[in-house]
Amino acid sequence: MKGIKGLESFSVCRTFILKSMFIFLALLVGQWFVMAGCGENPYRQGQDLYIVHCENCHMRDGSGLGKLIPALDASKLTLSDPGKLICLIRKGLPVNKQTGQQMPANTILNDVEMTNLINFLGSKYSSNPQTVQVEAVKKLLSACQTE
Amino acid sequence: MGCVSEPKQLPHLGNIEIIKGDTIYHTVPDVTLTDQDSQVLKISSFGDKIILADFFFTSCPSICPRVQKEMLRLYDRYKEDDRVMIISHTIDQRNDSVSVLKRYAYNLGVDTEKWKFVTGVKDSIFDLADQYFVSVVEDPTAPMGFDHSGRIILVDKNRHVRGYCEGTDPESVTAFFKTVDALLKEQFPKKP
Repeated sequence: MKGIKGLESFSVCRTFILKSMFIFLALLVGQWFVMAGCGENPYRQGQDLYIVHCENCHMRDGSGLGKLIPALDASKLTLSDPGKLICLIRKGLPVNKQTGQQMPANTILNDVEMTNLINFLGSKYSSNPQTVQVEAVKKLLSACQTE
Repeated sequence: MGCVSEPKQLPHLGNIEIIKGDTIYHTVPDVTLTDQDSQVLKISSFGDKIILADFFFTSCPSICPRVQKEMLRLYDRYKEDDRVMIISHTIDQRNDSVSVLKRYAYNLGVDTEKWKFVTGVKDSIFDLADQYFVSVVEDPTAPMGFDHSGRIILVDKNRHVRGYCEGTDPESVTAFFKTVDALLKEQFPKKP
């Protein structure tokens, strides 16, 4: 208490303490917002990656486009198998003779991004979602490239 | 303007010329096109109909699928309305042959009596896009070589451009429904 009383005599220090308290409070509030954000959607980066890399064709709601682009909820088999899904995204699909459409290969997602993306897809569209870790994704990716 | 609904009177977009005392609105040229069944057509041959138009190409990996999805919403809404025609112009004359367009239409699952997929002479299609106020550029650095805007254009039965929306934005298209309805009300005072 004595220390604080001493400080009070210096107005500069008082402002400093007030400022510090304000910043501390701001940080607390900020952290609360961040935590609330995470609580709402645990696959936030995966979702962002989906928007950038997949949404143009598969649509925001995963509904696809007629027979030209498949809807994601119709692909439950692939989505529940992370290995197949990873290879599908990395290698794409050749031109389908019935539709003339092809799925482009995505070679730019790194291991962490791929992990986040497939965990998001699994959580949203798979009947039997499995969460995978980066280490597993690395192995699956290299297995898919040597096939 | 554009996607915002103007319930009273839709504007005429583009330059307005006064020639010998007459006011002449901007008019989309009536170029010769070829549809997915190799039929030669001009939009004037549709008769008394308003037209929803866009520019796309079948192998487009960027915005086209989204725009076509929104065109599909418009198609569903005006499917039974004989006063409305839909036309999608390919900007990729090299790859989108008549048979490719036909296959695309079939897999999209639409009635090609209502929704035409057309090609034509490349320069005249690019010029047509310009007249519809849609920007289309051949750009080797863009995905699959084309850079274009995803606008959906509303043309009245006199080939005047009366509205547009951004086909990449579902909300803009929802607002556009009102624009289309307003034009129908204006041009067809009594519903057939």
